[in-house]
Amino acid sequence: MANVIEIKNLTKSYGKSRGVIDVSLAVKEGDIFGFLGPNGAGKSTTIRSMMGFLKYDSGSIKILGMDSVKDREKIMANVGYMPSEAWFYDSMKVSEVIAYAADIRGVDCRDEAEKLCERLKVNTNKKIRELSYGNKKKVSIVCAMQHKPKLFIFDEPTGGLDPLMQRSFFELINEYVDKGATCLLSTHVLTEVNKYCKSAAIMREGRLTMLDSPDIDDDEFLKFYEETEEEA
Amino acid sequence: MKKIFLKELKMNLKTLLIWSLSVGGIGLACILLYSSMEGEIKEMADAFSNMGTFSDAFGMSTLSIATIKGYFATEVGAVHGLGGSMFAAMIAASMLSKEEELHTGEFIYSMPVSRKRIVFAKALCISVMVFSFTVICSILYACGFVALGEELPVQEFVTYMGMQFLMDMEIAAVCFGISAASSKTKTGSALGCALMCYAYDVIGRVVPDVKEYLFIGPFSYSNASEIFSGADMCTKGIIVGIVITTLSVLFAFWYYDKRDLAS
Repeated sequence: MANVIEIKNLTKSYGKSRGVIDVSLAVKEGDIFGFLGPNGAGKSTTIRSMMGFLKYDSGSIKILGMDSVKDREKIMANVGYMPSEAWFYDSMKVSEVIAYAADIRGVDCRDEAEKLCERLKVNTNKKIRELSYGNKKKVSIVCAMQHKPKLFIFDEPTGGLDPLMQRSFFELINEYVDKGATCLLSTHVLTEVNKYCKSAAIMREGRLTMLDSPDIDDDEFLKFYEETEEEA
Repeated sequence: MKKIFLKELKMNLKTLLIWSLSVGGIGLACILLYSSMEGEIKEMADAFSNMGTFSDAFGMSTLSIATIKGYFATEVGAVHGLGGSMFAAMIAASMLSKEEELHTGEFIYSMPVSRKRIVFAKALCISVMVFSFTVICSILYACGFVALGEELPVQEFVTYMGMQFLMDMEIAAVCFGISAASSKTKTGSALGCALMCYAYDVIGRVVPDVKEYLFIGPFSYSNASEIFSGADMCTKGIIVGIVITTLSVLFAFWYYDKRDLAS
């Protein structure tokens, strides 16, 4: 299996503050990769560097075999991203946001968007400003999935979703992965990693440790958090 | 890119209409008031034109406010100059930074569009809005002349509105550069920038030592009184304006492309 994500020695700092230090990571095609770690450990910095939102100091990132800086546009055409907090243009309707995302990508996603909205029970007639946090997340899922990307990058996707929606969300991920997609899932929820991920890594204090297996128990998992708090 | 441009335009349409109809409407009202004030103005005109540097500053030494041309240049000139520059400053200051301030950046920047294209689409939107603002105001002012049955001095009028467009673009470009460097919208600073430029011009026309350096400010080449009195064009000011506009836009492209985007 080819590597869909290949990060080598990624370092990013914010002035004097630590971001991530010497992070290396590989995610294979067809994987659902769990990306764990306490708040401020560097998960979002890693993801945001992959997405090109941050300009990293050193190292390299290859996504779908392409350079994350030089080939950013080509990469983004094949990536579905969901940020930890879903924000859209308040004055737009849900249907307009979904269509706008598809239009910018230059693809006709109407059928897939309709299917996703039905599965996730998204009311497309409402204005964004009328939506709850969870419903905005659902719109974000539709925008990330409607173009059937090769790679999904989800940053804490299930926060705000009710249990039924969480189940639908993971069912959708599994369906796309079965069709050849790959998924990187940043989360705090250990059960999600145990249940759905095929491999996992944990970040702490800006450094990454690969886990032998995503099936780790609560005590082992919490140890990472406790050690971080003690160090802090 | 086209979609981003059209979306921006649609989202800013209300602001454009409010500002252009307000500024253009005030200008139109001023013009319409001319006929009712004509008699009183004639008495004031002489006094206003003999107030030394104050008259120079507001162009009343070169044009008589008793004529429609002079009245338009001094009254509507001030309203449009200030209103237009504030509108341009305000829309440009928020154009890029609002994506980060309103947290919509992660949505738009996760699309397969480069930052340069996004900056271009937004810069184009500002240009179209400033142009539309100028056109709407021009139509309203022209309607005022027609309603009064006065002849519109077409050449001076077109030159004046053209120079105002150039000036608004210069102020917008500077504020666009500020917007590119900031993750928070600096509306206050942008409006301050427009007002400072106006104040610099007024002061420059009163204080003899500053007069030589008047061309640095954007109001130097768009002064209504000078244009309507047929004075020489401030070429130095226009060149400086074009240089500042170009450098500010280039800075916006360069800086926005290299910086980290806030979540």
